[in-house]
Amino acid sequence: MTLSEVTGISGEAGDFRVSVKQNPRYIDMNRCIACGECAAKCPKKVDDEFNAGINKRRAAYIKYGQAVPLKYAIDAANCIYLARGKCRACEKFCPTDAIDFEDKEKNVDVNVGSVILAPGWSPFDPKGVDYLGCAESPDIVTSMEYERLLSASGPCMGHLKRPSDSREPKKIAWLQCVGSRNLNRCDNAYCSSVCCMYAIKQALVTAEHLEGDDLSQTVFYMDIRSHGKEFDRYFEKAQADGVNFVRARPHTIEPGKDGTGVTMRYTLDDGKVVVEDFDMAVLSVGLEASKDALSLADTFGIALDEFRFAQTSSFAPVASSREGVFVTGAFQAPKAIPRSVAEASAAAADAARLLTAAKGTLTRSKSYPREKDLAGQQPRVGVFVCSCGINIAGVVDVKEVVAYAEGLPHVVYAENNLFSCSADTQDLIAKRIEEHNLNRIVVAACTPRTHEPLFQDTLREAGLNAYLIEMANIRNQNAWVHQNAPEAATAKAKDQVRMAVAKAALDYPLARDAVPVTQKALVIGGGLAGMGAALNLADQGFEAVLLEKDARLGGNAWHLDTTPKGEPVRPMLEEMIQRTENHANIKVLKNAALKSATGSVGQFVSKIAVDGQTRAVTYGAAVLATGARESVPTEYGYGEDARILTHLEFDRKLREDAAQLGQAQSAVFIQCVGSREPNRPYCSRVCCTHTVKSAIHLKTLNPAMNVYVLYRDMRTYGLNEILYQKARDLGVIFIRYDVDQKPAVAIEGADLKVTVDDPIVQRPLKIDTDLLVLAAAIEPHASDELIALYKCGVNADGFLNEAHPKLRPVDMAVDGLFVAGLCNYPKPVDESIEQAKAAAARAATVLSQEAMQLDAIKSFVTDDCDGCALCLDVCPYRAIKLEEQATEGNGQVHKRIVTDKALCKGCGLCAATCPKGGVHVHGFTLDQLKAQVSAALVDVV
Amino acid sequence: MYEFKVGRLARILGVHRNTVSNWIRSGRLDARPAPAKRYQIGEAALRRFCALNHIAEDRVLDHLTVLPEAAASLTPTVAARFSTTGREESMTQKTIGSVMVVGGGIAGIQATLDLADSGYFVYLVEKSAGIGGAMAQLDKTFPTNDCAM
Repeated sequence: MTLSEVTGISGEAGDFRVSVKQNPRYIDMNRCIACGECAAKCPKKVDDEFNAGINKRRAAYIKYGQAVPLKYAIDAANCIYLARGKCRACEKFCPTDAIDFEDKEKNVDVNVGSVILAPGWSPFDPKGVDYLGCAESPDIVTSMEYERLLSASGPCMGHLKRPSDSREPKKIAWLQCVGSRNLNRCDNAYCSSVCCMYAIKQALVTAEHLEGDDLSQTVFYMDIRSHGKEFDRYFEKAQADGVNFVRARPHTIEPGKDGTGVTMRYTLDDGKVVVEDFDMAVLSVGLEASKDALSLADTFGIALDEFRFAQTSSFAPVASSREGVFVTGAFQAPKAIPRSVAEASAAAADAARLLTAAKGTLTRSKSYPREKDLAGQQPRVGVFVCSCGINIAGVVDVKEVVAYAEGLPHVVYAENNLFSCSADTQDLIAKRIEEHNLNRIVVAACTPRTHEPLFQDTLREAGLNAYLIEMANIRNQNAWVHQNAPEAATAKAKDQVRMAVAKAALDYPLARDAVPVTQKALVIGGGLAGMGAALNLADQGFEAVLLEKDARLGGNAWHLDTTPKGEPVRPMLEEMIQRTENHANIKVLKNAALKSATGSVGQFVSKIAVDGQTRAVTYGAAVLATGARESVPTEYGYGEDARILTHLEFDRKLREDAAQLGQAQSAVFIQCVGSREPNRPYCSRVCCTHTVKSAIHLKTLNPAMNVYVLYRDMRTYGLNEILYQKARDLGVIFIRYDVDQKPAVAIEGADLKVTVDDPIVQRPLKIDTDLLVLAAAIEPHASDELIALYKCGVNADGFLNEAHPKLRPVDMAVDGLFVAGLCNYPKPVDESIEQAKAAAARAATVLSQEAMQLDAIKSFVTDDCDGCALCLDVCPYRAIKLEEQATEGNGQVHKRIVTDKALCKGCGLCAATCPKGGVHVHGFTLDQLKAQVSAALVDVV
Repeated sequence: MYEFKVGRLARILGVHRNTVSNWIRSGRLDARPAPAKRYQIGEAALRRFCALNHIAEDRVLDHLTVLPEAAASLTPTVAARFSTTGREESMTQKTIGSVMVVGGGIAGIQATLDLADSGYFVYLVEKSAGIGGAMAQLDKTFPTNDCAM
C-alpha cells in the first residue's frame, strides 16, 4: 500500500483494526507500464527529493529507476492540472490510458493481529545552523546530497562534480557530528552511530571516482567510532590510502575566495590555528527521529524517549510500550543497516510469536492447471517481440525482427507487442499458446533477471512447464546501448532472437524438487543469544534442542551487573533460564558437545555427546550462538595486584561488595586493553559504554572519588552517548592516549600508580589510584571444530561470518544455519537478544515450510562421469561428493560423483570443468549452449 | 471438549464446508485448530453456538468425538502452540493471522519478507510512491563498498 498513512488504530494485540488513508496516485497501477511518457511530457519541474533536492524531477514521476512498484505517480501538490485546472498533457500522451485524474483518496480499514512500526529516520537539516555556512556556499553539501552526487543513478551519473561550477573537486573535507553529539546548537545529544563510517566510505569511494595525485580527503572528527565488524580494518585502510583524519572541530566555515569552495579555520591539539581551503565540504549530518515519529506515536499510543525515538527495554528491544505493536530500525535508535535488518527480523519473530495460533489462516496460494504432456511433440516456438513503448521500438525495427523470426526453424508464430510484460499481453500470450498449440516461448524484450518469473508464471497458467521460456534481451543489451546505430541494432536483435529460438527448441520440461523439512531447530550455545533464539522458536510452536557445553545455562550474562540503561541483568537471566528449562518445546542438553553434522537445510543430522553418551538429532535449521569470552590482559600489571580488575571482575565486585568499592579515593579505567592492537585489530564495541556506566556508578557511590578514564576514541555510540555526557557532568576525567604512548602502571609497595601523557596539558600525569579497571578485549572461542562440521566461515579475527554484512546479518553462507550473539561479533545484551530473535525469525522461515521448493536449474550427473573428481574442488557450495557405486550386472565397483540438489545453486562451474561431459546443468546443457553458439555464428562459420 | 473435522460438522448440519470454515474464521463458531485438520471446541461454546443458531443440541453433540482432556491429546508441539504460556494473558481469544508493517525502508521490507515467509499475510504501508527508503538513496555501503541497490 503505497502513498498511504495510518490514521487510527483500535482493538488489542492479536486483533487490531487499523485505518489507513491511501492518497490518490492519479495513475492506474494496473495500466501503467512505466514507459515514462508522462514524465517526459509533464511541464512542471519540482525538486527531486530522492536526489536530496539537487536536481529536478517532474510532477509526474517515479521515485527512482528501480522503484518498487515500478509505477509512476502524480504529485498532487505540484501538478498544474490539479492545482490550476489546466494541462492534462500526461493524459494525452499516455499510451495505455493509465492517467486517472478522477482518482480519489481512499480510506481502508484493515484487520491485523500485530503492527510493526518502521518509519525510519530523517537527516538532520543543517540549514538553520549559521556557522556551518551551507546557506552561503553551494559547495558545502550534506552527506545525503553527497551520496547522490557519487551515485551512478544520481544527478551526475556517477561523475563527481561540485555544485558551484561543475568542476571535479580535488580537495574535500568531511565535518563529523553535524547534528549529533551537540547540545549547544541542535539538542541532539546522542551519537548517530553511522556517520564516522559513512564519511570514511565516502572518502574511499571518492578516491575511486577521481584520478590524479593531487587528490586529498580530510575528515574532521571528535572520536572515530568504527565499532562494528570489520569497521576498524576499513578505518585503517582509509588511513593507509591517504585519507587525513584530523581531530578538530572547524569553528569558522566560509565560502572560498571567488565564491566557490570553502575556507575553514580550526585549532589543532597543540593549540595551533590552521586556515585551509577546500574545493568542497561535506557535512556528516546525523540521524534524527523520523518526522512522522510524533504523530505515529500519538496514533498508536506508544512511548517515545526525549529524542523522539521509540522507548524499548534492553531485554525486549523491539517491543514498544503497547502490546502487539513492535518497533524496528532507526525508529528505535539511530543505527546502521545490519542492525536495522536484524531488528526487523526480530520484530517479525515477536509478531509471529504473538500470532502463532492464527498462522497460515490468511495466506493464499495460487493454483495452476495441470501441465500438458509434451512427449513426442516437435518444438512449436512462439516469438513475442516487445516494443517496450519506444525503449526498443525507437531504435530496433521490431516489425522486421518479427518477420525475420517467422522464418526461423521451429517458429510457428511471431508477433509484436507494445509491452510484452503488461497484464493484457500476458492474457494474449496464454491465448496464442492455446490457438497455435505453442510449446516453447521466446520473449525478445528486457532482462530475465526482472521479468522471467512473470513469463514463467504465464506459461504455467497456460499449462506449460515454466522452463520452456527463453528471453532475448534486446533492450538492455541492444536498444539502450546502440541508440545511434538503429540498423546494426536491428541486425543484432535478429541474432539475439535466432540464438534464443535455437536454445528454446532444445528446452525441456524441468521439475522443481522439494526437500522435506524437519520442523525442529538445533541451537548451539546456552547463553542469552542461544536461549533467546530457542525460546522464540519454541513459542512459535517449533521444537528446539538447546546444546550447552557447560553445566549451566546463561553464559557471560552471569557476570554482568546491569545494562547501560541500568536494568539489572540477574533477575531477567534467571527468569529466562527458568522458562527455557521448563518449556515444553525445548530440550536442554547440558555438558553437551556437537560431534558430527551431515545433511543440508531442511534435513540436518547431528550426533551430540552428553555426559559420555551419544545421541542423534535431526533438525531443519540451526542457530549458532557459541558466544565469546573476556580475554585475560597481559599488560598494565594485571594479575600482580588485587586492585587491578577486568570489567567482569569489576561487575562481580560491584554486586558482592559495592560499599567497599565506594571507599576508594581514586579509580582509573584503561580502555582498549587488547583491542585495536595488531593481534586483535578490532574494536570490542561494549567496553566504552561499560566503562562510562561503571564510572557513573562509582561517582554515585562516592561523589568525592576521583575517576579517570584513559581512552583512545570514546565509542559510546547511539544513545549511550548520553551516559558519556552524564559521566563528564559528574566530574569523571577523560584523558586520551595514543597507542604508541600507552599509560604505564607501577606497583610500588602499597601504591598503585598510573602515568599517562595528557595531550591537552601536553605533559605526563601521574595518578595514584586505589582501583584500576582494564577494558579487556572480547575474544571468540576457538571454533575450528564447528567450522569443520558445518563448513561455515569465520573472519580473520575468529568471529563467525554472516552471509552478507548488510542484508543478511544473521544468516550464514550455508543455507539453514543462522548466527546470533557474541560469536558473530562483540555486542551488548540488547543487541544479542535482538540477533537471537532475528535468527529465530529467519530459522522460522525455513521451518514453516513442509518442504523446501528448490529451483529446477541444478546440476545432474551422466553415465560419462568417470569419477575424476575435478569438479569437487571447483564447486563453491560443496554440493558434490564422490561415491563408490556398483555397476549393475557385473558388480564392479567404480567411483562417480553425486550432486546434492539442496546445496547446488546451478552455477555450472562443474559442467565447465568436467573433461568428459559427465555433469551438466539442467536448462543449460552442452547441447543447448552449443545450439545457441552455432546460431550466433551461423553467418561467420 | 469436542473434536471435529470441518467436513463432518458440515454434513451433520447440512451446510457447505466453507460455511463451517467461515464460522470458525469469523469467531461465530469458537473452535481452535488441532492437529490433522481437526478443530476442538469446548462444550459450553458448542451449546452456545447451537442455541444461537437454533440447532438441536443432540443433533451435534451426539455425533462429535468427545475428548476427555484436551491438552493431553495434543502432541507437545501443538500443545505449546495453543497454550497461553509465554503469551500475554490479556489477549483476546481471537487472533488475526496478519500483520501491518508501517514503513517501507530496509527494516520494513525485511520484517515483511520474514513474516510472509513464515505464513502470515502482511500489509506493508508506505507513505511515498515506492518502497526502498533511505537505503535506496545510498551509493555504496560500508565496510564492503557493496552497491546499496
